[in-house]
Amino acid sequence: MVIPGVQLFFSYFKDLVGREVTVELKNDLAIRGTLHSVDQYLNIKLENTRVVDQDKYPHMVKPNSFFYFFPPSRLSVRNCFIRGSVVRYVQLPPEGVDVELLHDATRREARGG
Amino acid sequence: MATGLRLVTERAGSGAGQPVFDTGNDEELMLVQPGVSIVLGNRPPEFPGTLYISNKQIVWLSDTDREKGYAVNFVSVSLHAVSRDPESYSSPCIYTQVIDTLIETGTDDDDDESENSDSEGTEILNLSKITEMRLVPSDPNQLDTLFATFCQCAELNPDPVEALQGEEEVGHNWVFSADQLEDDEGGHNWVFSADQLEDDEGTEDEDQDSTHAIGANGNHDLAHSVVQLQINDQRFEDAEEMGQYDKNGAN
Repeated sequence: MVIPGVQLFFSYFKDLVGREVTVELKNDLAIRGTLHSVDQYLNIKLENTRVVDQDKYPHMVKPNSFFYFFPPSRLSVRNCFIRGSVVRYVQLPPEGVDVELLHDATRREARGG
Repeated sequence: MATGLRLVTERAGSGAGQPVFDTGNDEELMLVQPGVSIVLGNRPPEFPGTLYISNKQIVWLSDTDREKGYAVNFVSVSLHAVSRDPESYSSPCIYTQVIDTLIETGTDDDDDESENSDSEGTEILNLSKITEMRLVPSDPNQLDTLFATFCQCAELNPDPVEALQGEEEVGHNWVFSADQLEDDEGGHNWVFSADQLEDDEGTEDEDQDSTHAIGANGNHDLAHSVVQLQINDQRFEDAEEMGQYDKNGAN
């Protein structure tokens, strides 16, 4: 499974190490933590991990037929490893986003492809 | 290809035995942890058992019942973590989520026994419905080692990569600064800090430019595009008139 532009995202995520991110998985679970590291498969390691309260962010819960939906159990963990292939979104800290740079890079990525 | 959690009934050796590993296919045992109970979904813990971690899968075997064992491949483990929150679970444990990619649209979320209603009570469990698994070592000091081993093995089992049309296989050909990591796992580069991105003494391959800069794109030579742009720019520089200017040059 190859995601076009993965190289771009890998580069981008590397710069976010140490920042708070929220990772939304394909099974609708949202996990927040400090980005500890990321690798070329976009596997993500988080520290100070906690589960995002789904009720607070109802817009993030979508019907997902691909993965079996399970009621989120309360989970408080410190260190967490997330497989790259199950990540749906990574929410970034606003101060961590250089929108211009990202737009530029994605445009170039799209052209070059 | 079996994905998700599955039942293990085959064992090697006598007594409690050991899992049968596919040594012919480079499967090797990484860690054995006795005294581990396993908790599947919301079921009660099963104990006593021994955890075997190979470079491809996790296997738990009951110490007392040779017919009882469970296994899951690392490619099916979507996340794993150390859980020490007593409200989440009474004992510190490794928490994992399991994905079963065989479950696609059309499968109802009805109930657990939907496919096994003729089984004796709840003995036969539909393992493919299990999405959470906890491994509780009797010695909580082992948790960090277990977590680290899980990480290592997860990294050894990336999803199969297919080549894009017209592009080289992506996934393990990425090159970035060689001094980023002294780390063990060859070919597996974790970046822990932005400092590690400081540059660029390490790129050996001319073909594969350092890709850590945003916008750099593997096989595409951006330098050419930049040069062309500069050429065009010169023409614009001379054009002070507000009106149209010739594409062929104002001079």
